[in-house]
Amino acid sequence: MDKERADSGLTWEVKANSRHYHRLKQKKSVLCFHWGRYADNVVRSYKYSPLTFLPLSLFEQFQRAANLYFLLMLILQCVPVISSIPWYVTIIPLLVVLSVRGIKDLVSDLARRCSDSVINSRPCDVLISQSFITAQWKDVCVGDVVRILKDQVIPADLLLLCSSEPHSLCYVETADIDGETNLKYRQAPNATHSKLTSHPSEEALGAFDGVVLCEEPNNRLYTFRGQLQWRGECLLLDNEHILLRGTVLRNTKFAYGLAIYTGADTKILRNCGKLRVKTTQTEKVLNRVVIGIILSVLLAALLLAIGCGVFSSWVMSQTGTVSGLVIDGNPAYTGFLAYWSYIILLSPAMPIALYITFELIHTVHSLFIGWDLEMYWQQADKPAQSRNTSLNEDLGQVGYLLSDKTGTLTQNHLLFRQCCIAGEIYGDASVSAEDTESMDLSWNPFSCGGLFMSAPGLVERLRGQQCPLSRQFLTALAVCHTVMTEWKEGTLVYQAASPDEEALVGAARELGWVFLSRTRDFLVVSELGVRKQYQLLALVDFTSKRRRMSVLVREPEGGIKLYCKGADIVILERLQQDCLYQERTEQALQLFAEACLRTLCIAVRSVPEALWEQWSKTLIQSAAMATCDRDALLEKLYDQMERDLQLLGVTAIEDRLQEGVPETISLLQDAGIKVWVLTGDKKETAVNIGYSCKLLDPDTRLLEWHELREILQSPDPQVSFFKARQTELWAVEKAMARAKTSVVLTGPELIEFHQRPEWGAAFMSLAEHCQSVVCCRVTPAQKADIVKLVRKHTVSVTMSIGDGANDVNMIKTAHVGVGIAGVEGGQAVQNADFSLSQFRFLQRLLLVHGRWSYLRISSFLRYFLFKTCSFALVHIWFGFFNGFSAQSLYETWFIGLYTVLYTASPILCMAFFEQDASAENSLKYPELYKIGQRQELSSILKLSLSLLSAVYTSLVLFFIPFGVFYNTAFDYQTVAVTVSMAATFTATTEIVLLTKFWTKFNIAAVCVSFLFFFICTRITHNSRIFQRSPSDYYFIGVSDMAFIDPVVWLTALLTTWTAVLPSMTAHALNVILTARDKHKGRGPEGLSHLYP
Amino acid sequence: MVKDEKESANRPDNTAFTQQRLPAWQPMLSAGIIIPGFVLIGLAFIGIGVVLFISSRSIQVLEMDYTGVEQKSACFKCSDPTVKDCICSLEFSIDSLFKGPVFMYYGLSNYFQNYRRYGVSKDYNQLYGDLTYFKTPSDTCAPYVYDKNKPIVPCGSIANSMFNDTFRLYQSVGTNGTKKQVPFDGKGIAWWTDYNIKYRNPSVVPLMDAFNGTTKPIFWSKTAYELDPTDPNNNGFINEDFLVWMRRAALPDFRKLYRRITAGDYAEGLPAGNYSLEISYNYPVLSFGGRKKVVFSNVSWMGGRNEFLGIAYLVIGALCVFMSIVMLIVYAKFKFPDDE
Repeated sequence: MDKERADSGLTWEVKANSRHYHRLKQKKSVLCFHWGRYADNVVRSYKYSPLTFLPLSLFEQFQRAANLYFLLMLILQCVPVISSIPWYVTIIPLLVVLSVRGIKDLVSDLARRCSDSVINSRPCDVLISQSFITAQWKDVCVGDVVRILKDQVIPADLLLLCSSEPHSLCYVETADIDGETNLKYRQAPNATHSKLTSHPSEEALGAFDGVVLCEEPNNRLYTFRGQLQWRGECLLLDNEHILLRGTVLRNTKFAYGLAIYTGADTKILRNCGKLRVKTTQTEKVLNRVVIGIILSVLLAALLLAIGCGVFSSWVMSQTGTVSGLVIDGNPAYTGFLAYWSYIILLSPAMPIALYITFELIHTVHSLFIGWDLEMYWQQADKPAQSRNTSLNEDLGQVGYLLSDKTGTLTQNHLLFRQCCIAGEIYGDASVSAEDTESMDLSWNPFSCGGLFMSAPGLVERLRGQQCPLSRQFLTALAVCHTVMTEWKEGTLVYQAASPDEEALVGAARELGWVFLSRTRDFLVVSELGVRKQYQLLALVDFTSKRRRMSVLVREPEGGIKLYCKGADIVILERLQQDCLYQERTEQALQLFAEACLRTLCIAVRSVPEALWEQWSKTLIQSAAMATCDRDALLEKLYDQMERDLQLLGVTAIEDRLQEGVPETISLLQDAGIKVWVLTGDKKETAVNIGYSCKLLDPDTRLLEWHELREILQSPDPQVSFFKARQTELWAVEKAMARAKTSVVLTGPELIEFHQRPEWGAAFMSLAEHCQSVVCCRVTPAQKADIVKLVRKHTVSVTMSIGDGANDVNMIKTAHVGVGIAGVEGGQAVQNADFSLSQFRFLQRLLLVHGRWSYLRISSFLRYFLFKTCSFALVHIWFGFFNGFSAQSLYETWFIGLYTVLYTASPILCMAFFEQDASAENSLKYPELYKIGQRQELSSILKLSLSLLSAVYTSLVLFFIPFGVFYNTAFDYQTVAVTVSMAATFTATTEIVLLTKFWTKFNIAAVCVSFLFFFICTRITHNSRIFQRSPSDYYFIGVSDMAFIDPVVWLTALLTTWTAVLPSMTAHALNVILTARDKHKGRGPEGLSHLYP
Repeated sequence: MVKDEKESANRPDNTAFTQQRLPAWQPMLSAGIIIPGFVLIGLAFIGIGVVLFISSRSIQVLEMDYTGVEQKSACFKCSDPTVKDCICSLEFSIDSLFKGPVFMYYGLSNYFQNYRRYGVSKDYNQLYGDLTYFKTPSDTCAPYVYDKNKPIVPCGSIANSMFNDTFRLYQSVGTNGTKKQVPFDGKGIAWWTDYNIKYRNPSVVPLMDAFNGTTKPIFWSKTAYELDPTDPNNNGFINEDFLVWMRRAALPDFRKLYRRITAGDYAEGLPAGNYSLEISYNYPVLSFGGRKKVVFSNVSWMGGRNEFLGIAYLVIGALCVFMSIVMLIVYAKFKFPDDE
């Protein structure tokens, strides 16, 4: 038996009403040990408990290499023999860094805890010993019978046992799972429906002892396999019987369900993807450079230590003052100790303040994003928000934008704008929806507005009963659909599977054909006030392959009619011969398509009774077949019915884009960003949107799967790709062929990518040449897979943007995730790194904030590495003249304060305020954005150049004072102050050269850091402070002597000027050379000088 | 109205700061500013260089090595470390007036006063006159903390290695070889802060009592409180020679101020004539390949002679001017490209 189960894959066993059994097997964990099988229904997204906060947070922080490095430094500094710098120089900044981060983590974890507890304590009714008790979500256990009331959110994945509605149907809204707002129905298995729907139901449910065997928990939202064993019967279960966690019960008074998967086992949580810590590209480069610096420091320390050993053994051979200082008379040991001393002494080359300053800058940039009025949406009173404050510079490097469609590009609000009935066009789409003159529909009691079409002629015809074709057209609209109705506060509300259907049925209502209700067998329609009941004989639903939908109804008058609506190509080829008005309708279709409207053809066929009888018989027979040709057979049958159609007309629907979407997309494309659309929608809808938002041009060639597959299968995809394009477009130029191609894929086709991983790279290299890629019918997990595909095969930064819970996965997977704070649930925003209210704000987020952030942060990094390395590396050169003894050339306080006070504020101001081009120009010249995509400012090469210049500067900083003070009476401390002065001046001059945008803060910062240097130096050299602790402030009186000595000043001046001369010359040459560009008129005027 | 405010509660502030529209100066540099700028700076550097070079040249310096390496040198006999209390005499003549005030330095080379463990080897608290550190000197003084179980005061390597050669300068007057001693001024050769604040004797009278139970540094021949028998205020930690020595040098070749010649007949400087410098040679340097020298020098506004600084200024200034010429050529080439 067990083996059989294992073979069928049904290994998950749930026994109804046996809490105890499941509780025993509940999943538990202590530290890293886990046991048990069934997860409890508690969501835990928090990381810390009071007990674990300190160790875990410290553990996490010390996983950052930098922090660990400084901890090691600190430990080394506490060893007196090797402590070349006292320990307090490191511990203060380290403590500040650790506590700032710790507090930040704590605050965000508390926020997560709060939101968790809100979810976990949602109420739900659980059956315990034959009565329902109001419990909380977290108490639900596998095997529990749960009662869900109308509009409640379902707490776990449930097997529907029975409900208040006939046939134990129930309706659920899945907005939080797939973003679709229409209702879907679920049905209980017949056995449980018939046996458990009794009164009082508690008894029957309490006695229910079925056993469910099903698959192990997985993330497939649309499939479920299992069986229910009850009373000796074995019932097959599938997705229709399952209510997923996170869906909402609608239109159903109550429903009973058996919990199958709870908590972490539920399908929606399985779909959530793992929480990943995101790091930016620049940070990755920085980390590599930092590792490089550390390695070089270690190497330099090693060489210096060897030098120390050699020097020691040399002095050992003589008698002198120094020889007595060789530890234990052992040169090797002295060298070993000198190694550690040098590691300490050179450690400021990799400054501890770097990462904390980095975070500070990120935070300020994030604040700027939130403060931007241009990204504030008045209607919803929502400013933009940066939820993850560490990804700003990635915004300036985005190469791929993967966008959801519904609610992101569109308002998800469809309007019926035009139609063509019997060759006559009604309405005018060139007038915008708001400006459309509203028609007088007061004669229609059901009218509730929302028709943005002005066609008095049509109304007249309809009411005047003149034109049977238009009446049939409206009947088709009112009958041929899958919409459900619901009465809310006295008004009729339509629940439609797609917004298209809602728009069509709604338009029919406005024009007098009111769809009132649907039962399994009947449709009730009020036609201009006359109530008519259509018997529903058959309904052939829409599929993306069929691209049409038909209903077969018996009219109240008795005749049988087939109403069909569908894509123009499909309908036009099924028309009867010599159809009236066909030519004029086709012209109308052309017109509507040019206006970017979504069109559907409406057709009708009168079916003779005999044909119907014969057809329905065959249908029943075929449907009962269980072979694999069943689908093909059915398809053929449907085809037989849907022919000899009579064309009624065409509908034209406007899918209203959000404001500014086409402009934004074309601007982003100009900026070199590839925009892809990933949607759960139908292919037609997606492509239509693609056209209307200028993602696809009217003459863009769509590359579909069958072609793409051929290309991918060919030995050289690139070549066959261009061949295919060239023959079709007669485009000789490759660039033309590239620009004018877009790939359209659907979800099922993407599965093949999983089976053939080698296609990924080929596909991406093709996609790089395409204008865009549109993926339709994709599940949340597939959206994430596409993001992963892009991430894997390109080096570009990917950005996902979406608004629904179905986008959460891709938002989490991309480098940067953006959530649209729109109509659908807040889940996308919750998981996003940035949240916007409108798609069009993206242009400002990327082209202005992103570009500035990238510019500022890469300048910041280069300068920061320069200033710290240049000042720390001086010790290497000094080592050659002090017996490699790890003697510091600076006062210890100077080392501590240099990065914190003397050189911090000007670079911070630059990193906050720098602008190479104003916001307006950034948007005007989108090509400026490409600098970030190519990583021009933060490449390893650029950073290495700054390091090289740092090495040069350190040489100058040491050797010029060396030359001046060699063989003179100047003492060590005066020299130390001179070099400190020169180092501070050099760092400040460099930032002055780097800053291009001087606000008052920048000017103040430069002055302040100079002042700080002189004031703090005076303070640490003060006699009072010396008296308190003579061994820590032994530089007493040095500045009194040094600051009045002309030689000190002249040396500092000479050193500074020599140190900045190369970068000064580079700047000067840059200015002179760009003057040439200006003359030749290259690049946007006034901006060409920005990037050499 | 109230409703309006409520509706836009989240509206960001419209300030120049939050909207990143701070007024700012964006310097637009052009070749017309940069090239003359470089020329000007270059010229300024050359100017400074010339001034420095000339004033450096005007400083008279007389430098004499007295290590005694060569056999014919006067101090050769003293260079043998076994010879004790050796005195040698260095004869020299001055052709013209050596303008005063004349500073006399002693110089050491290949001497690593900047060795880290050497520099650490002192006890700031002891030297500040704290008696508790007389009993138990800090470990930093290693390896000169205790001698025969008695604490060393002043402890540490720097103090231990104090320079102890002494000099007397005589001018030959007349022809019969009578010598007249040139008076040295040893006051104020140390830094004011060192003498008054950084170093202090314990406030015990007589000073000798403070040193009870301690011992002198191993290399010293006298105790700290008897360093200057002539002046009781120049003893202990505030002996100026001691202070000068304790202010360690930055580089292995250095000078330290020994005395000034400011008094009597020599206030105007050293007149032309023959001089002999009597050196009591105590400090061993040959063992580690070091050199000892004495330097007489007068000073200008820029201190002692320093040719490097002037030359460096001239070089860098010339480089700037050269750069500006290169830039001018580049600029001319691009501004007026060779039209085809």
